[in-house]
Amino acid sequence: MSDGDISISNLEKVYDDGAEKTKAIEDLSFDIDSGEFVGVVGPSGCGKSSLLYLIAGFLETTDGTISVDGEPIDGPGTDRGVVFQDYALFPWRTVMENVTYGLEEQGVSKEERRSTAQRYIDMMDLGGFEDRYPKELSGGMKQRVAIARTLAYDPKILLMDEPFGALDQPLRESLQDQLLDIWRDLEKTVVFITHDVEEAVYLSERVMIMTRRPGTKKTVVPFDLDRSLDREEIITSDKFVTTKNSVWKSLREETQPEVQP
Amino acid sequence: MAHADTGSLGVLPRRFQHATRLIVDWIPLAIVVVLWEFASGTAVPADVLPSPVTVSVQIADLLATGEIFSHLFVSLFRFGVGLGLSIAVGVVLGIGMARSAPIENFFDVFLSMLYPIPKVALVPLAMLWLGVGTGPAVLVVFLACLLPIIMNSYNAAGDVDQNLVWSAKMMGTEGWELLRKVVIPATIPHILTGIRQAIPIAFIALVSAELVASYEGIGYLILEAGQVGNYSLMFANIVVISAVAYAFVTGFEIARDRVVVWT
Amino acid sequence: MDVTYARDDVVTFTKSIYSLIIFLVLWEAVAQMGLVYYYYLPPLSDVLARFVELTLSGEIPYHSYLTLRRALVGLVIGTVFGILVGILIARNAVAEWFFDPIIKIGYPIPIIALVPVFMLWFGIGDQSKIIMVAIGTFWPIAVNARNSAQRIDKNYIRSARMMGTSDRRLLWRVVFPAASPGIVTGLQIALPLSLIITFVFEMVAGGGGLGALEIEGVRTFDPTQVYATIIAIMLIGIALDRALRLLRNHYLRWV
Repeated sequence: MSDGDISISNLEKVYDDGAEKTKAIEDLSFDIDSGEFVGVVGPSGCGKSSLLYLIAGFLETTDGTISVDGEPIDGPGTDRGVVFQDYALFPWRTVMENVTYGLEEQGVSKEERRSTAQRYIDMMDLGGFEDRYPKELSGGMKQRVAIARTLAYDPKILLMDEPFGALDQPLRESLQDQLLDIWRDLEKTVVFITHDVEEAVYLSERVMIMTRRPGTKKTVVPFDLDRSLDREEIITSDKFVTTKNSVWKSLREETQPEVQP
Repeated sequence: MAHADTGSLGVLPRRFQHATRLIVDWIPLAIVVVLWEFASGTAVPADVLPSPVTVSVQIADLLATGEIFSHLFVSLFRFGVGLGLSIAVGVVLGIGMARSAPIENFFDVFLSMLYPIPKVALVPLAMLWLGVGTGPAVLVVFLACLLPIIMNSYNAAGDVDQNLVWSAKMMGTEGWELLRKVVIPATIPHILTGIRQAIPIAFIALVSAELVASYEGIGYLILEAGQVGNYSLMFANIVVISAVAYAFVTGFEIARDRVVVWT
Repeated sequence: MDVTYARDDVVTFTKSIYSLIIFLVLWEAVAQMGLVYYYYLPPLSDVLARFVELTLSGEIPYHSYLTLRRALVGLVIGTVFGILVGILIARNAVAEWFFDPIIKIGYPIPIIALVPVFMLWFGIGDQSKIIMVAIGTFWPIAVNARNSAQRIDKNYIRSARMMGTSDRRLLWRVVFPAASPGIVTGLQIALPLSLIITFVFEMVAGGGGLGALEIEGVRTFDPTQVYATIIAIMLIGIALDRALRLLRNHYLRWV
């Protein structure tokens, strides 16, 4: 049984606000294996967030299909979990209540909900904050709650929309490493949107670069490395620097103004 | 879930879309009016619920004969004087309380006691003091509008941007000058918000006072028409006072947006 | 009508009561010395004595009960319908199309002007008063529920749906809690409005209640009864205001 693979073929997304049609994504085909960590980078407005929300089922495709484990998706489902840039925690629920939400919807018993939630709360170093409301937490803590909330109901696929974009550098780095640990331990498929090339290369096994709007797959840069190394060894390695540069160059071509012939 | 209602209008040429939207927007009200017209005289007796046509004719009649203007004038006079007094007193008191601790300490307790009383409950007290007519109506309108105006002026004058005050002081502005040149202008938008909040309250207070303690004014006319069984007149007066209240709120908002261009 | 000044901004407790004491002493002195007509301002001591008398005789408690029952039953009905319609408008395009213009037109009507209409339609009894309070309080609740339900962060809805909440349950699980601060704001306007409608109706149509008791004091040239009733109204006003604050602090800790 395949578990959490994603297949995108000939995807097209057009926004129509009644007055104007905007083509956000055009003819995008891409396959992601189960358990894979894929980073997506692209110029702003290239439709990378649209792509993520299409996979999540929040938006409807205009043309083409997205399949998960061979089945075309139909709306949002508990097999996919999104981590939003703005956290989207329910402000009226405490940390514990946010993390148990998905389990409540599945009808899991109260004791089991609490023990499962506690496991992920501890995993994200949130012990002691169970009864706090989101407004009482810092941005980094909110994002850890959001990750714990998504992990708790055990989706096979994590869809992350610039989740660390609003956080400062040291916090980002520690959350990145925490995410890598989780990915390895829990064997999730991860699609990670970011505008930060270094973050994309550091985290991902493959980085997909998108073209400017209408966005489509420009190129895919693989990056396999020995994950037993620590951060400093990785980011100073030749391989990392070369890969980063090639992604950066490719992206750069898309962000430069078009030269009229 | 609400999906964006871009809908079928998209097929129409752009300049028709606006007009069509306008018509579509007003259909529900048309439905209500038509139902009302239809129900009057069939489902409910026509004198209990006069039809919109009857009421419109009655309004046209009131305006044509000029009968309503003397009462409308009385009501607007009470509204204007009561609201005007509350602005004059409320702004001074609000700014005074914000900038001076003794003033605040003195008045605070009275406001705390006035605040939980629905001001219309003071109509009988106003009758003890001022009898029946314009006096109690003005007093109740004044008291009802006082708190929102005081509160808005107080809050605004209390947290005037400290940078403004410092930069004014640096340039040598002091005392009354500071109040006149910095604090009051910075407070004006909030005072206008207070007045905006006070207008509908003023109409509630006005009509209440006129229902209970007056032989003149639109509120009295509504009650009297109801008591003598002239229901179309009663409804006509309700429509008139509602339209006046609506016009004041809307007119004030438009005027405010013109005057306070700096926010 | 949209009476929207934030009640939390009101000076919450008296920082100093010396001015009140001066005021009360002056009141008693001026009235005792006969500087004002008894009818305008009876001595404070007479007013307090009358308040105690009316309370012990059961009159004030009975009339308070009548007033509170009318105001609060009407308020509950108006609130329930207001929440339902407000949320429906925010979440359903057809309901929005239908109700929005009606709300726009209905909200600015000074509801109090309809007292004679309700007397005509439903009589002068409790039922009529309760219906009028319900209709009067419906508007501020509906408008505020609509406003806050329309502003719900799209990603709350998305999160709930990805975690398995069905469209039907969404209303209860996400829309209602997210709209609750707006509903409480609506209640802060609707609660005083419910008392206003009840008092004026009682003054105009009788049938007992504090409004009727107060106006009876005017008609029988008994100023102490007017003042004593106002004291009762003030105490009820303070109690209800505190209750709403407690409710807010308890259920909206997260805001």
